[in-house]
Amino acid sequence: MTNNLKSGKLSIFPLFIWISFGITILAGAAGVILPSLDFFPAAGQTRLSFDPWITLFKSPGLVQSILVTLFTGLAATFCSLCLTLLFVSLFYRSPVWQWFEKLLAPILSIPHAAFAIGFSFLIAPSGWIMRLLSPHVTAFEVPPDWVLVNDPFGITLTLAMIMKEFPFLIMVTLSAASRLRIEPTLHVGQSMGYQKEQVWFKVLVPRLYPHLRLSVYAIIAYSLSVVDMALILGPSSPPTFAVYILKWFNDPSISYKLVAAAGSTLLFAMVAGTIFMVHMIEKLAGYAARRWIVNGTRRSPLSRIKFPLSGAIITLIACTGLSTLILVVWSFTLKWRFPEALPTAWSAKFWYRGLADMQDPLVMTLLTGACATLISMVMVIGCLEHDALQKQIRRMDSVFYTFIYIPLLIPQISFMAGVQLLLVIFNLDGMWISLVWSHILYILPYLFITLKATYLDFDPRVYNQAALLGKSRYRAFFGVKLPMLLRPILFSAAIGFSVSVAQYIPTMLVGSGRFFTITTEVVSLAAGSDRRAVAVYALIQQCLPMVIYGLAILLPKAIYYNKKGMH
Amino acid sequence: MKRFSFHLILGLTMVLLLGGIAHAGEWEDIKKQARGQTVYFNAWGGSQPINDYIQWAANEVKNDYGVKVIHVKAIDIAGVVSRIMVEKSAGKNEGGSVDLMWINGENFKNMKSNALLYGPFSQKLPHYALVDVENKQTTVFDFTVPVDNMESPWGMAQLVFMYDSQRLDHPPKNMTGLLEFAKKNPGRFTYPGIPGFHGTTFIKQAMLELCADPDALSRPVDEQAFDDLTRPLWDYLDALHPLMWRKGKAFPESASKMIPLLNDNEIFISLSFNPNEAANAIANSELPESVRTYVHESGTIGNSHFVAIPFNASAKAGAMVFANFLLSPNAQARKSDPKVWGDPTVLGMDKLSPAQKTLFDAIETPEATLPAKALAKVLPEPHVSWVTALEKAWLDRYHQ
Repeated sequence: MTNNLKSGKLSIFPLFIWISFGITILAGAAGVILPSLDFFPAAGQTRLSFDPWITLFKSPGLVQSILVTLFTGLAATFCSLCLTLLFVSLFYRSPVWQWFEKLLAPILSIPHAAFAIGFSFLIAPSGWIMRLLSPHVTAFEVPPDWVLVNDPFGITLTLAMIMKEFPFLIMVTLSAASRLRIEPTLHVGQSMGYQKEQVWFKVLVPRLYPHLRLSVYAIIAYSLSVVDMALILGPSSPPTFAVYILKWFNDPSISYKLVAAAGSTLLFAMVAGTIFMVHMIEKLAGYAARRWIVNGTRRSPLSRIKFPLSGAIITLIACTGLSTLILVVWSFTLKWRFPEALPTAWSAKFWYRGLADMQDPLVMTLLTGACATLISMVMVIGCLEHDALQKQIRRMDSVFYTFIYIPLLIPQISFMAGVQLLLVIFNLDGMWISLVWSHILYILPYLFITLKATYLDFDPRVYNQAALLGKSRYRAFFGVKLPMLLRPILFSAAIGFSVSVAQYIPTMLVGSGRFFTITTEVVSLAAGSDRRAVAVYALIQQCLPMVIYGLAILLPKAIYYNKKGMH
Repeated sequence: MKRFSFHLILGLTMVLLLGGIAHAGEWEDIKKQARGQTVYFNAWGGSQPINDYIQWAANEVKNDYGVKVIHVKAIDIAGVVSRIMVEKSAGKNEGGSVDLMWINGENFKNMKSNALLYGPFSQKLPHYALVDVENKQTTVFDFTVPVDNMESPWGMAQLVFMYDSQRLDHPPKNMTGLLEFAKKNPGRFTYPGIPGFHGTTFIKQAMLELCADPDALSRPVDEQAFDDLTRPLWDYLDALHPLMWRKGKAFPESASKMIPLLNDNEIFISLSFNPNEAANAIANSELPESVRTYVHESGTIGNSHFVAIPFNASAKAGAMVFANFLLSPNAQARKSDPKVWGDPTVLGMDKLSPAQKTLFDAIETPEATLPAKALAKVLPEPHVSWVTALEKAWLDRYHQ
């Protein structure tokens, strides 16, 4: 009885999300779809037609742009997933794994744009690697004219996305690990003569994948519609589809804004279609693998790739590390020309300058990120608690969980333009509270992805025990359950915060350019030429989430220093 | 007769005087209104020297006029135009988010033709009288579109090329020479991708130099003649692209992105819209001392850039006070100093008082910059319709 009563009260949380997300998504969708049908009153276009679509399909290089987008998106997702599954099955709990686990938080905290900038400074024909090798090894006095960055097939872009998404999937795997009963399964499997890798692929991966599924979809959506990384590393003529859309959106002539809207609708369809296709492949693969799972083979060929795989992983991590290091070097540079291995003149003036300029944006970033994360976290915990209590009767339907991921699936620029229109109509544009709300739209899904499994897995007996011992439901929740879940909650809050830090388009559009965050400063400066200043700003952008991740890891240890089981 | 002329003179004097008083009175009112206002100035924010200059100007008007200016650092002003359009769609006719914006060319044309601008206003600015509208035609015709006082001139621009004098003894003198250079140095020249502003200017420049009938460019595009007129351009680019940086398969995003390329010798020739860009980048240690500037013999395309006030700006008076300050000899002289920014002035030297003129005379011309004489041949922008037509044709040919 009490359970029902409590969950009844808690249903305010999902209800609130349904309504608020519903209105925003409808506005965003209308803001995309109506202009794509030639409806744009500001330019006097009020007659519906398919003209923007016709222009879209006639756009030069469209097919190639779409193909390269699909290729990079699918290849990045597929490779990240394969790497994750192979890594976990070959190295779980090994020293390499533990080492990687320690590096995970700093790697995850690197914003995509900052990473892309560092990576391009590293691998370009005039990048650091080539500078270190020239002229002694390569005999190059001037940089070779090689297409290493901005290659027409988007291979560099794909590699960079793998480097960012693979650690994310490992993190999700870690948070799901508690539910998989990995150790006992491995014991049983191995005692039956199965190689460890075989147990993983036959028993554990099929159980792990459902926990990864939403993250895989998020990666598909992200990598198909990514703009910042694609601008820096992706092909340029034609660019990836999302960049193409951005160029239309920023074209001075109004008719192209309508084409941008049609393009956004198409990109959304591409994302939805790809996810549907992957969903079907999952089903097929599950069906096809059924016989293989029970065919009794105990030996796995996978153990042979252990060495190359560890090499690949170490290379990935080294590249990530070097990409940050090169930013540090550039940030202290005054003069540095190819092929010098290191700057010929150093200076700290860009740091003085950057730190002085960054004070106000830093406060704004912290305040917005903290508020948006806090509100999102309250809503997510409210929903999950509602869900946990409903367990026996009726689990929240998957429709709800699909619904809250929609903001991640719609190309941001057009979606936000639609949201902006709604805000302007209600005179809410340029207000800080609207800005916070726009960040919540993007934080909330990530909190669900990272927290859901652990939260719903919380042993209800602990909770019931506390209640039986005379505590009220509230006190059991705040005094027992939340403290016990502090570590995963803080970690997922750190992810939410870093999502907020990275938001550029919502901050500019919804905030009407009234609010300056670290990211708005980084992005505006990155449009210019000065690598030294950009490096300083990118590092500052990178530091903030890193500090927050550090706190998320250290705080539980500090708070529960005398309670070993809570670490 | 005498009496009549006396009355006439008296009358005229009165009219002029009263007009002057009324004018001054209006400006006094604007200044009074502006005090205490906050002006959101939306301007490209990719360059620290430019950002610093805007910050300096903001501090000055804060002290002198009590107007607070906030620089909203945009990456692309077309995005700001979109925002104003959204505000118009939603019926937000006042209290808009943009008070003043840095603008020219197509964006201006669009805002003007969609009634998104406030004005005419530039004639009300006292310092506007100092603008060299007679000799600097582009301050009154923005990409051939009449300005009609709907935007206030801020600076001058001209297409120039930059090269590293240690790599190259004699820079090319024209487009044909550029092709010769590319043949001798494959992979060491590029231009920004289309439809970027700088890339389009390079194409227009090539068109002006190669086209059999350059006068046709000052008229609206004639679709029938377009193919014939542009044939030499495409032949030229077909020959040039395989000899370009990345074999013409990748293009830099903007002219700014070519500065690091020039610094690292990825390319030996770069381009800019600011004749003092090289000098500024050298002062800023972004380019080596050996970089020099040149223009083609036949002259290069020049234009002006402006500031405009959107129709729904919240602080129109404050925006005008800031626009007027940007036109002041003090601000213009500082802006044209290559150590600060190096953006050429829109003012006419003959309209300045001797004291004002010394501000400009005091500026040193570094070796990397071209003397004013070398920049004398300014080609006018082709008719604005050519931009879209050339961009579209370029994309059709090279975007696949």
